Amino acid sequence: MADGTGGGRISGPRPSPSFRQVGIVASLTPADRRRPPLGRGATPFWFLLPAVLITAGVVLVPVAQTAWLSLQDYLLYDPDNARFVGLGNFAKIIRDEVFWISLGQSFIWIVGVVGLQFLLGLVAALLLNQSFWWRGLARSLVIIPWALPSVIIGLMWTWMYDFNLGVINDIALRLGLIAAPIAWLARPDTALYAIMLALIWQGFPFFAVTILAGLQTVPAELYEAAEIDGATARQQLFYVTLPSIADVIATALLLRTIWVANSLDVILVMTGGGPGYATHTLPLYAFLRASSSMEFGYGAALALILTAMLLGVVFLYVRRAARGIEA
Amino acid sequence: MERRTFIKLAGATALATPLARPALAQGTTTVRWWYHFDNPQHSPAELVAKFEAGNPGIKVQAESIPWGGGNDYQTRLFAALVAGNAPDCAMVRLSWAARFQQMKALAPIDDLIAGWAGRGDIADNIWTINKGADGKQYYLPLQYVVLYLYYRQDLFEQAGLKPPATFEDFRSAAKALTKSDVSGFGLRGGAGGFDHWGPFVLGGGASFEKGGMVSEKALAANRWFVELTSKDKVVPASAPTDSFRQIVDSFKAGRTAMTIHHVGSANEIVGVLGDKVSAVPVPRGPDGKGWTYFGDESNAVFAVSKAREAAFKWCAFLSTAENNVVLNKFTGQLPIATSAAKDWTLHPKRFVDASAASLPFAASLPDSPKTPDFIARIWPANMQRALLGQIQPDEMMRAIEQHFHG
Repeated sequence: MADGTGGGRISGPRPSPSFRQVGIVASLTPADRRRPPLGRGATPFWFLLPAVLITAGVVLVPVAQTAWLSLQDYLLYDPDNARFVGLGNFAKIIRDEVFWISLGQSFIWIVGVVGLQFLLGLVAALLLNQSFWWRGLARSLVIIPWALPSVIIGLMWTWMYDFNLGVINDIALRLGLIAAPIAWLARPDTALYAIMLALIWQGFPFFAVTILAGLQTVPAELYEAAEIDGATARQQLFYVTLPSIADVIATALLLRTIWVANSLDVILVMTGGGPGYATHTLPLYAFLRASSSMEFGYGAALALILTAMLLGVVFLYVRRAARGIEA
Repeated sequence: MERRTFIKLAGATALATPLARPALAQGTTTVRWWYHFDNPQHSPAELVAKFEAGNPGIKVQAESIPWGGGNDYQTRLFAALVAGNAPDCAMVRLSWAARFQQMKALAPIDDLIAGWAGRGDIADNIWTINKGADGKQYYLPLQYVVLYLYYRQDLFEQAGLKPPATFEDFRSAAKALTKSDVSGFGLRGGAGGFDHWGPFVLGGGASFEKGGMVSEKALAANRWFVELTSKDKVVPASAPTDSFRQIVDSFKAGRTAMTIHHVGSANEIVGVLGDKVSAVPVPRGPDGKGWTYFGDESNAVFAVSKAREAAFKWCAFLSTAENNVVLNKFTGQLPIATSAAKDWTLHPKRFVDASAASLPFAASLPDSPKTPDFIARIWPANMQRALLGQIQPDEMMRAIEQHFHG
């Protein structure tokens, strides 16, 4: 890259002020410049107001309500006797064995699912970026798992894993890989990983498609230059391809981490959190306490803890997104 | 028509319409009813049309609510009640009654039942089971099922066995019938499986009274039940999470020789196994005591309803003989009206007989606000852990005792 075709920032004249800046500056009188009137200076904010109000209505109000609920002992079937308990729910959560089990499993769930979805997606994207005669069809087919509803995926995989009638046991038996059928979803040592596999299958197309889009933006000259410099295919992958799509990968990883951390539908359909607590994750546990037990206060506190943990990831994502806007 | 005349006429019509509407609508009461059928393709439209024809002043708005193992339906109903958007009446279960009472969602309907001609067509013991804790009636019975034991007649005959009447008969038969690819008993350890645990543990001496789960008898009965999996190994390896679909399909596929369910699955099972399958009441414990689950379904009229009497009329209509038969065609359960049950032909007789023979010792779960959580969360989590050896069977019983009595 010594020829300066890529890499470094483009140097040139300072960018001129944006259209908005020019417009505002040009319309200001000398008096305005000293103290801009509220009406004119606030115009952009008036335009933003409807969006802010809608966001507040559908996001901030429920969040505030959840926070308020988390401080109460609120049973859905006994709303008249709801009482303020301060941080009582959180203190109870710290002593709750199931919370810690769910937290540990959430960690395995997020790292395992997102990590493997990414690896599989990357491999699929690299393959789909090659030239072969049925590439168009392959690109369409790969999206199918992503397009299926989670409940269908949960049911489909439940039957594939079925102890008596499942296709996975059947094939493994015929191939001599196992001597007897395995109850994949009923064994605490396999249940969580079996569900993770289903979710990895569902989510890898997201990475494949996103990374594929990123790959198509990498200039061909970079590869030509690398080839001239004698780079092997592996070197091209690590020194050209991956650095060029690093931004895309980072954004996709952050987004998917947030989604996977929150997802509970496939687990709910496949095992309901069992056997025992073997497939409990934090969002599922919060859901079960709110839905089955109708303990809305306790469920809200669990959900808030999950939200607080995810805020770090959300912050990183928002910072990246904001950088994109500023650039 | 001239333009001016047209405008005059249009204006007059526009003015007259809102005036005419109240006159037409006067006297019409709308009853919102929530229901669930296992088969979503079934619709109560035929019953609604018949009712509306016989009761011109009442419109019924029947709303199908997803059942979701009971949890979805229940949560939506309670959420609707809290939000002030509850239906006038809905299909309900006895195990929710205490929660309804706690939120004052129901009002007694004794006065309305007293004036209903179909009252005498429902057996006295059903009215007794359906009574509230204060002795008043809040529910109008609609249909029922009783859990019994399905067994493979052919396999029993080949092994020279009789259908089990006691726990020990049951264990011996399960052991004898367990082969490499067949398990003696299709145990349900997943959602709803308390109705497999109940016959052996509640029937073996446990109870929901204070201390009833941790008595010597109760603990011994639960250990015995867990040993069917851990020691005797007469259940499939998937039993800890098997639910309705798995136990029925395994039984149909010949992978299990016995299982416990109700008449609702009889036609489906007979469709595959024919005369190879029959049913008897669940076995009884060492002291002759038995317990099986009375799967009830009633209608309740909510206290907030502004159409209390019209809603009751609709519910009473559904529990009346011939209408009750039509409804049970859709739900696959048994009619609550005695006259309708007499000539019941929708299920093979042997399964209806097994249901009737189980009624004397059938019971529902305790009338407590904690019962739904016991069914949905406490029982499955602890049962599965006990079956998998993650906790001792006694710990499971202590967790249930703790749940109900602190």
